[in-house]
Amino acid sequence: MMNSNEIIDDIANKEYEFGFTTDIEMDIAPPGLNEDIIRFISAKKNEPEWLLEWRLKGFAAFKKMQFPKWQHFEMPELDLQALSYYAAPRKKKQLNSLDEVDPELLATFEKLGIPLNEQKALAGVAVDAVFDSVSVATTFKGKLKEMGVIFCSFGEAVQEYPDLVRKYLGTVVPHSDNIFAALNSAVFSDGSFTYIPKGVRCPMELSTYFRINAQNTGQFERTLIVADEGSYVSYLEGCTAPMRDENQLHAAVVELVAMDHAEIKYSTVQNWYPGDKDGKGGIYNFVTKRGICKGNASKISWTQVETGSAITWKYPSVILQGDYSEGEFYSVAVVRNKQIADTGTKIHHIGKGTKSRIISKGISAGRGDNSYRGLVAVGPRADNARNFTQCDSLLIGNQCGSHTFPYIESRNKTAMIEHEATTSKIGEDQIFYLNARGIDTEKAVALIVNGYVKEVLNQLPMEFAVEAQKLLSITLEGSVG
Amino acid sequence: MTAGTQRHSPFEIQIISNIMTSDITMPFYQAITEDVNALSAQVSPAQDELQCIRREALDRFSALGLPTLKTEAWRYTNIQRFLKEYPYELLTAAATVPASVTEKAAIPQLDCYRIVLVNGHLQADISELPAGKGITIGALSAHTQAPGFVNWFNKQPHLSGESLAALNTALFADGLYIELAANAVIDKPVHIVNVYTSGTHAFIQPRHLWVLNRNAAATVIESTIHPDTNTVAFANSVLETVIEENAELWHYNIQQGNENFREVHTTAAQQHANSRYHHFNFTLPGTPFTRNNLSVALNGSYTETNLNGLYIADKSQHVDNHTYMDHIMPNCNSNELYKGVLLDSANGVFTGRILVHQEAQKTNAFQQNNNLLLGNKADINSQPQLEIYADDVKCSHGFTAGQFSEESMFYLRSRGIGEDAAKALMVNAFSHDITNEVKIPALQHYLQEQIAAIMNN
Repeated sequence: MMNSNEIIDDIANKEYEFGFTTDIEMDIAPPGLNEDIIRFISAKKNEPEWLLEWRLKGFAAFKKMQFPKWQHFEMPELDLQALSYYAAPRKKKQLNSLDEVDPELLATFEKLGIPLNEQKALAGVAVDAVFDSVSVATTFKGKLKEMGVIFCSFGEAVQEYPDLVRKYLGTVVPHSDNIFAALNSAVFSDGSFTYIPKGVRCPMELSTYFRINAQNTGQFERTLIVADEGSYVSYLEGCTAPMRDENQLHAAVVELVAMDHAEIKYSTVQNWYPGDKDGKGGIYNFVTKRGICKGNASKISWTQVETGSAITWKYPSVILQGDYSEGEFYSVAVVRNKQIADTGTKIHHIGKGTKSRIISKGISAGRGDNSYRGLVAVGPRADNARNFTQCDSLLIGNQCGSHTFPYIESRNKTAMIEHEATTSKIGEDQIFYLNARGIDTEKAVALIVNGYVKEVLNQLPMEFAVEAQKLLSITLEGSVG
Repeated sequence: MTAGTQRHSPFEIQIISNIMTSDITMPFYQAITEDVNALSAQVSPAQDELQCIRREALDRFSALGLPTLKTEAWRYTNIQRFLKEYPYELLTAAATVPASVTEKAAIPQLDCYRIVLVNGHLQADISELPAGKGITIGALSAHTQAPGFVNWFNKQPHLSGESLAALNTALFADGLYIELAANAVIDKPVHIVNVYTSGTHAFIQPRHLWVLNRNAAATVIESTIHPDTNTVAFANSVLETVIEENAELWHYNIQQGNENFREVHTTAAQQHANSRYHHFNFTLPGTPFTRNNLSVALNGSYTETNLNGLYIADKSQHVDNHTYMDHIMPNCNSNELYKGVLLDSANGVFTGRILVHQEAQKTNAFQQNNNLLLGNKADINSQPQLEIYADDVKCSHGFTAGQFSEESMFYLRSRGIGEDAAKALMVNAFSHDITNEVKIPALQHYLQEQIAAIMNN
């Protein structure tokens, strides 16, 4: 058995296990960010005039903005002009079955352990595989179509359901929300669109696999999910990315809209390339995720397991506008080497009797830096609003950092808000107890960490829970504080 | 009472003169910035160390500027709104008040040394100074050569980022200097009555320095009185305390001014090995604007720090408590408990930052902020923060905001207790966690009476 120092070094030095690249002929725009590129993207995707105008509005907003300075890490230098803003697999004809998918792409998914065929058969998951921005395969489409569920790539939705897209696009995350959302609005390549009609309970977990593949291509996904009255949908998003030397920026936008009595459950497992042990390379994951509970008694729930990326910087938020609506945020964020996570949530209580629950579990190892930053705001109309927040941090090794920066604002005397945060390490007594029962230190730590994050993992759908547990054990097995 | 006509005490050096002669007709914040800019250009190269410090602080203030809502530490507190309210004059003059004025702050049955400071200047004729071996106590201006001053004045690292503290350093006139030599103990509590009075709307900069050397111990109680009804005083006071090895300081601060008083109160403490520091802050209704900056730097191991705060605010009172526990060394304990009762349309703000450095292993740091929102338009903004770079630590913070439980209310009402009386009873119980920690019975009783009086009003 390794001693604790060796184990800590081992974790701190662990190389990324899913690093490989696929060679598919790309259709890449020249690097640079300007109006021409935006027009190029829009034309390439055969978009209507209003969408181009919206993109240009986003670009105008972007040009006026500065990078923020309040974050708890040093902002890397981003040369947005050096990025290429469009990359798409060349074959763009409509595909009806998996057989028509580029075999090399399928092989990539095999390597990642995401065999589409098997998943289709075994898990009953409809997978909309996003490979460098453009959807190339969609399964279970027929079955969903029968129930009236729209689940397709964003580009397709723009062509086929322009009215729906136009009605909801940018209503939750406006084109001028923040600099990365503005950038995304201007240059978003593709993404997913989901619409669940009134009273429909989506029969399967919807899932999209995002991959970052082309070098020097920022990924600008845009996801829009609308759950109409009384509907339910569970949406899964999972990511792994090939090893890269240069940093890659990922500035996605996710918008969720829940109408009366609707429920959206959005789960993420993120394992992008975190950079090598010195923090070189790795993905910058700067994502804007926000949902609005527009209708009464609606519910939005975010669950995230964040183990990858050089920098994870996102605050999946919920606006509780409808009376008696409910918001949830469950998060596990793991950092090691020189990884940075600055994540949390914002909950705005606007309607009466709104409820929210925040459970955040941070794990820091190596020289990682993990921050929880969150806002709970209760407006004057939000009578009897209720919030419970718990932020726990686990420190492994004495070179990491763990921080909690909550903002709590209450403007209503009937609101009840509770927040608690703790920081600790894995106790020697706990390890000793498990050792004494014949469990070696590595397994003991895995067991303790597993128990520590269980509250969050329990929120994930089955398939994801397994994947997430695997990820955590790869990341943290054998860690002794 | 008469506001003194003497505008330049010898201690004020020539820096002050320019500001005092300027005719302030434009909004205060503009005037002050311009004055300071003019001074920075004008002041001749410093002749003595204190002048150097003032000069440097002026430059720092110019660079930092007055806080705005975009300054992170002031995001919930718009100080400019209060600074612009009246055409304040920068007042550094001494004044005298009759002893009767200070009676209002008297704590019944408290056996203590009472010291009266008027606009920061010691009024010796109605003050009783503790005497004894190793006890030095008096006007700060009279002790600039004392070892405590030479070693510790303006040495608190946490002061440097605050522009109002820099302004104070640049412009302060006087304050109270306490130095206890090794093993010196003040036998009775020292009760400082801070009186603010002048014939004009005044912006006042008191500056205090308290140094407790090895094994020394003291208990200090501070009260504030602003007797003027026609003019408004804005105090921007700074207190530096140094608690050396194994020394112990109990510090109670009672803030209870009238509606013509505003206050920014900055306390920067540093503790050395095995020292104990107990800080109590009571902000009661009266003053429309109170901002307390409290920072504690732990420069030694095995220290104990207790920060307790109770704020009860009514009308449109704004109370902002900004605390910062800096765990630099290992094996230290800190406990922080701030409780607030917000009535009417009062605004409460709490920021509690705990920073644990990488070397500060075995730190125990706890923080709790509880709020009762009783007013229909009352609000609370809270930012409890943990920033931790060491792994073998136990740290936590907690926050609550809410109401009396309906069951408790119903229980009391069903036993024939009126709604207001029941409320008063529950506020008393709520504040008990703080008042119970007050170790001087007379003071504890006094505070409980004050709280009861507020709630019965």
